[in-house]
Amino acid sequence: MGLRSWLHRITAPHGAVEHIRQPVKLVCVVNQSLKMGKGKIAAQVGHASVGAFLGAGPTHPGHVEAWLASGQKKICVKVPEDAAFDRLMTEAKALNVPFHLVRDAGHTQIPAGSKTVLALGPYESETLDRLTGELKLL
Amino acid sequence: MPSMDDTPSMALIVRRDLAMSAGKMAVQCAHAAVTCTRRARQHGRLYDRWLESGARKVCLAADDEVHLNELLAMAEAHHVVHALITDAGHTELPPGTVTVLGLGPAPRRTLDAITGSLASW
Repeated sequence: MGLRSWLHRITAPHGAVEHIRQPVKLVCVVNQSLKMGKGKIAAQVGHASVGAFLGAGPTHPGHVEAWLASGQKKICVKVPEDAAFDRLMTEAKALNVPFHLVRDAGHTQIPAGSKTVLALGPYESETLDRLTGELKLL
Repeated sequence: MPSMDDTPSMALIVRRDLAMSAGKMAVQCAHAAVTCTRRARQHGRLYDRWLESGARKVCLAADDEVHLNELLAMAEAHHVVHALITDAGHTELPPGTVTVLGLGPAPRRTLDAITGSLASW
């Protein structure tokens, strides 16, 4: 467990899950410089979504609940290279947006350790649009 | 050939007759992966082994909806966790279109018995 989620666990009131009323979504940002095939991208976005969903469970339970209840809305956008991930993660931290970065194990197509997909959320769509609104859809 | 490696894996099987864009296909697969993960949580040890070994996922191709339903019936017969994803129809496809079948996490040998003949993307 990360320090932040541990702190959250000991400081959060028990049984009180914040109820989120705004629309919630998950944004998956794909690193285009790796030139992954369609199936590879799909598996990596799958990793990112499962990682984001499991990782946000302890830290953002209200967001996860709202996201699942509203049909797990997801969108896929792209960046030309992984340098953009650093900026997005810094901004996500500052806004308390949960995120999950996928590094590939390197079994197929690309070198081990490549940063393939960054998932941001589940979180309020409005906040995520401020972070990723400029990025092109995949 | 059946694999000797029995690490749990997940298969995301996509209908190739729909010709979805890369982004659309990725989102549908992610939906299947998250739904299967939620359903597998009650399968304790297998689920834990899957996560600990890197939550392996492969993306495979099926011909059409009929083919997906055949695979679904096989998954049920093998008691494999599964999720059949139907698109809400906001983009690209008519509402209610069946897009992806997620299978597992399941032992690799069991998955191979169901999906062994499928092509990968």
